[in-house]
Amino acid sequence: MSEDFAQQIREKARELLEKGEVTCVIGYETGTDGRTARPAFIYDAADADRLVFDNTCTHNLAKYLLNKKGQPTAVVVKACDARALNLLLGEKQIKREEFFAIGVVCPGVVESGWMRQGETLQLRCQGCTEHTPPLYDFLVGEPAEEPAPEPSYEDVAEIEGMELEGRTEFWAKQFERCIRCYGCRQVCPGCFCIDCFAELLDPEWVGIRIAPPEKQMWNLIRAFHLTGRCIGCRECERVCPVNIPLSLLNRKMEKEVLRLFGFKAGMSPEALMPLATYSKEDKLGIGE
Amino acid sequence: MSNNQPRIVGFLCNWCSYAGADMAGTSRMAYPPNIRIIRVPCSGRVDPLFIAKCFQRGADGVLVAGCHPGDCHYVEGNYYSRRRFALLRELLDFIGIERERLRLEWVSAAEGKRFKEVISSFSDEVTKLGPRKDL
Repeated sequence: MSEDFAQQIREKARELLEKGEVTCVIGYETGTDGRTARPAFIYDAADADRLVFDNTCTHNLAKYLLNKKGQPTAVVVKACDARALNLLLGEKQIKREEFFAIGVVCPGVVESGWMRQGETLQLRCQGCTEHTPPLYDFLVGEPAEEPAPEPSYEDVAEIEGMELEGRTEFWAKQFERCIRCYGCRQVCPGCFCIDCFAELLDPEWVGIRIAPPEKQMWNLIRAFHLTGRCIGCRECERVCPVNIPLSLLNRKMEKEVLRLFGFKAGMSPEALMPLATYSKEDKLGIGE
Repeated sequence: MSNNQPRIVGFLCNWCSYAGADMAGTSRMAYPPNIRIIRVPCSGRVDPLFIAKCFQRGADGVLVAGCHPGDCHYVEGNYYSRRRFALLRELLDFIGIERERLRLEWVSAAEGKRFKEVISSFSDEVTKLGPRKDL
């Protein structure tokens, strides 16, 4: 099946490049370890055969479009990546006429790394609620027939169920490992501020000191800036060198946004995220 | 928390709550002295960064006070802040800062008495919670 998918992607990429509809196709190719996929930038139709699609295609390629402004580009997107396209469209970061989305009905990706290809699906794929991209110009694979399953927040509920001391201790232990490499930010399609608050010196929101308060501050605000915007690709968690369960924070907020506003990020480019709008009739249990 | 006195930071909107605090003062009402007031143009000006920074620097409680819904000087600022803090307090609670430590209240310029009551009840509540344990 993956060979069939790859063939369709290659043909589409070749066609787009030959017709001159796009200047670049962003997809996946086999990495130098000969097993796992890495992002590929194809500028020449003759190189289109390098493109592959398999269960190690974990990267969210939507973010690369931010570097391709003004240049028509095609991008290969899984369902979660396509939600990132909707997010970026809604926030006016990319233009619809400047990209071509090659959507893939995603069967899920496995845990993988250098010279290492796992057997089990990544956690995000185990709990995946839609396999068909919500936005595409060309679809590879058959759209899923069955209705999307309800999201499960068992892991979030487990933390919520703890006593305050338990939660405090749990997060202190997690944040303690943070080296503030900002990999979670660099990989996130929702993090595109030119001046990130973490690097501002005046005012200095997060000090340069590597100590618990700074680590907590960074992780808290990172999660809050993604509230109602996180599309759940869990790339932040994958790239974290010290394995902080960042998606717990993201999914906690995803859950609250769903509960209070019935909103899910990235499902359509028009929908305003809940914090960018308001209703006079809001009943949120605060300031009524 | 020294001498069991909580440290509370209060962000008060210029148009209503700050004037409300002024009203409490000019009416010679006594309220707990452990609130440090910061005047902001609107409750909608209060960035979650402000709250996080207060907690990072050791505040035991943060109060955000603005005009009643419908009375905002900028028409809609307080509606935005209501959504923002409804979500922020959930996140704070999740990582170990009790949601009760962040409070959003509406106090108008004429409500000196209400300002006093808000500060008293918030101060009592934060004292009951005790010092922060998350850092």
